[in-house]
Amino acid sequence: MGAPMKKYTLIITEKPDAAKRIAEALDRQGKPKKLKENGVPYFVANRDRELVVVPAIGHLYTIVQERGKRNYYPVFNFKWAPRHLAERSAKNIRMWVETFSKLSHDADEFVSACDYDIEGSLIGYCILKYACGGKEDSAKRMKFSTLMKSELEKAYEQPLPHLDFALIEAGRTRHEVDWLYGINLSRALTLAAHRWSGRYSTLSTGRVQGPTLQFLTKREKAIRSFVPTPYWEINAEAEILNSVVEAEYETKRIEIKVEADAVVEACAGKTGEATKVDIRTVHEKPPIPFDVGTLQREAYSLFGYTPRRTLAIAQRLYLDALISYPRTSSQKLPPIIDYKEILSSLKRKPAYSKLASKLLEKEELKPREGAKEDPAHPAVYPTGKLPEKPLGVPEKRIWDLIVRRFMAVFGEEALKESLKVHLDVNGHSFFLRGRRILREGWMEYYKPYVRAEEVLLPPIKEGDKIRLRRVSREDKFTCPQPRYNPASLLKKMEKLGIGTKATRAEIIQTLYNRGYVRDERIVVTELGFDVIDVLGKYAPMVTSAKLTQELEGKMEQIQNNRVKRETVLEEVIEQLKPQLEQFKQNEEPIGEALTKAIKKAQTQERIVGKCPNCGTGNLTIIYSRKTRKRFIGCSNYFKGLCTTSFPLPQRGTVKPAGNNCRACGWPQVLVWIRGRRPWRLCFNPDCPLKSRRKKP
Amino acid sequence: MKCMVCDREAVEKYCEFHEKAYRNVVQKFEDWKRATGVSWKQYLEAVLENSFTGAWAKEVAEQLLSEIE
Repeated sequence: MGAPMKKYTLIITEKPDAAKRIAEALDRQGKPKKLKENGVPYFVANRDRELVVVPAIGHLYTIVQERGKRNYYPVFNFKWAPRHLAERSAKNIRMWVETFSKLSHDADEFVSACDYDIEGSLIGYCILKYACGGKEDSAKRMKFSTLMKSELEKAYEQPLPHLDFALIEAGRTRHEVDWLYGINLSRALTLAAHRWSGRYSTLSTGRVQGPTLQFLTKREKAIRSFVPTPYWEINAEAEILNSVVEAEYETKRIEIKVEADAVVEACAGKTGEATKVDIRTVHEKPPIPFDVGTLQREAYSLFGYTPRRTLAIAQRLYLDALISYPRTSSQKLPPIIDYKEILSSLKRKPAYSKLASKLLEKEELKPREGAKEDPAHPAVYPTGKLPEKPLGVPEKRIWDLIVRRFMAVFGEEALKESLKVHLDVNGHSFFLRGRRILREGWMEYYKPYVRAEEVLLPPIKEGDKIRLRRVSREDKFTCPQPRYNPASLLKKMEKLGIGTKATRAEIIQTLYNRGYVRDERIVVTELGFDVIDVLGKYAPMVTSAKLTQELEGKMEQIQNNRVKRETVLEEVIEQLKPQLEQFKQNEEPIGEALTKAIKKAQTQERIVGKCPNCGTGNLTIIYSRKTRKRFIGCSNYFKGLCTTSFPLPQRGTVKPAGNNCRACGWPQVLVWIRGRRPWRLCFNPDCPLKSRRKKP
Repeated sequence: MKCMVCDREAVEKYCEFHEKAYRNVVQKFEDWKRATGVSWKQYLEAVLENSFTGAWAKEVAEQLLSEIE
C-alpha cells in the first residue's frame, strides 16, 4: 500500500511495539491504520491532523571508517552511515532507512518519540539528519516515561520545542570515542595474531571492556593463587525448658587447634548461667525504588536471571505499557506519578487487591526514595495497567517483583526485636540469639521476595541456669574472595563508574562471546589472561578504570554543555596515538603471545574430561587429518600411553557438555543438529543406560 | 627460562602467576605450623587436597612436593 498523499506529521519511534502503542494512544478512535512499506510496518493515526508513526529497530546508523583499508590501524577518520553498509548481519536496515526517507517527503512536521535517554535521542537524531534529509533542527521531541495513553497524549500535546542536543552530543561522542578505542585496539590485537599465525581470530577490547576484564583478571589471580589457612569454630547447643537452642561461642574464629579443643573439653555437658539479657528493637526502613541496576541484581538473586535477560524482559514489559521506562538510574518516585491511580488500578488484580487497598487507606502516600537521580526518568514503577494477555513466566516474575517493590516503598518501617542472652559456662562466654518480627510493615507488601526468619527463644532471665548439651569443634578454612557473577560484576562496574546503565550488560556478554570469560561464576580463561597481559604491557591505559571514569565524566560535561565534543575526541586521539605506535613496534611478540593463547583456548574448548581408562590423559574431540572425521581420543595417545577412542556423530556440532553421565559417570558431549533439540550424549559403549535401552 | 610449572616465561623459578602462588604457599606455612604443628610435607599435602586452594597454588604445591619426594 502507498503512503498517504497530504501533508502529515512524521513521528519516529525506537521500536515497532512502541510505534503501535503511540499510534493507538494518539488516534482519536484508538484504532490507527497499520500499513507496510518495503516490509516495514508503520501506523497512520488521526488526531488534529494525520500522524504517521514509523518505528526504527534500534540504531539504524553507526560509525564506519571513512576511507582506507580494513586491515590497518591507526584509524582516526570516521563518519556515520547506515548500519547495513557496515555490518553483514544488518542487511534489513536498508529497508528501514528507505522507508523513513520515502515517508519523510510528504511530512511537514517531525517528532522524535524515541526513548528519552542518550541512545534513544541519538537514534531519532540520526534518522532525522540522515534519512529524512536534515530535519533534526526543526523536529520536536516527545518526552515520556511510560507508554500509557494519558502520558503519551500529554507528551504529544506539549512536546519539547526541539531535540535534546546536549544529550545527543554526549551520545555521539560516546559512540565515537568507543569506536576509536574499539576499532584501533581490536584491530591491533587481531592483526598482530593474524600476522604471526596466518589465521584470523576475532579479538577485541574497548574502553569499557578492557578495564572490566582487568579487574576480573585481578580477582581471578587472587583466587588461583589462594592458599587457605585453617581455623576452628565452636558449635554448641543449649537446653532450655525442653527445647534446644543454638549457642554461639564468644570467639568466632579460633586460630589454634589445641585452644579449640580446650574450649570443647571445658564446656561440653556443663551448666552455665545467663549473666545478661539484651533486648533491642530494630526499625527497618522500606526498600528504595528500583533503578535498573538494583532491579537487575534483585532479579539475579531471586530468579538467577542475568542482567541482560532482566533488561530484555523489563523492556518487553515497558513496551506492553505495564511498567515505566526501565533504563533509568533514578531511585526517586516524584509525586507527579499518580500513586493513588496506580494502586487503584493494581487493586483490580486479586493478588494485589488487599495490599493495594491497605495502602490506599493511608492518609498520605510517601515513598521511601534512594539518593540516585536521573534527569530523564523516574525509578522503575508499574503503570497500573494489567496485562491484556497472560504473561510468560519470566515477564510475570519481573512484573510482580516491580509491583510488589512499588507497594513496599510506601510501607511502614518494619519493627524487629533482637534478643541476646550472655551465657557464662566454666569461664567461657556463649551467646543465645533470638529474633522476632513485631510489625511486618513494608515486608507484608514485598512477600515472597523478603526473607526474614524468626528465631524464637523460650523466656530467659538473668541468673537462669542453662546446660550446654552439645559442644563440638568444627574444622574450617579461610575462603578466597568469591568469583564475580553477572550481577555482582554489574554492581562493580556501576561502583567504578565504567560503562552506562544501557551498555554494561552488553559488555559482560561480549566478554563471554569473545571467550575471555566463561561460566556463571565468572572464570577468566587463558585467552582473557593473555589479552590483559598484552594490553598491560603495551597499552596499559586501555585497561585502566581511571581513564574510562575520566571519559565518563567528560561525557557528562558534554551533556551539561561544559565541554565540546571535538575537544574530547582530540584528547582521545592524542591518548591513543602513542599506545598504538608502541603496539605496532611490538607486533611480533604480541602476535606470538596471542596466537599461543588462542591455540590453548581452542584446545581447552575441545577437552571433554579425564580419560576413564588411563586416568591421566584428557579425552579430546579430535579431527582426523586423513578422513576429516571427528572422534574422541585420549591426549596420552601422542605419548604412546593410551589408545582410548570413541566415535562421534558426524553431523551437526559437538561440544563438551561440562557434566558427567548420571549412570556411568563418564563425561558427556552436547550434540546440536539443525532443526533438532540439542541432546547430551554419553559415548561410553558400556553405559548401563544404553544396555537397558537395548533390552527387549 | 621457562616456569617450573607451566610454559610461560619465568621471573625466577616461576612465571609471574606461579611466583605469586609460590609466595603465598611459603607465607601461609607459618600460619599452618602455628595452628596445627604440621611439617612442611604434611602442609603441602594438605594444601594440595584442600578444595579452597587455588589452581596455581596447587600446581606449585605439587611441584614442591615432587622436589621433596
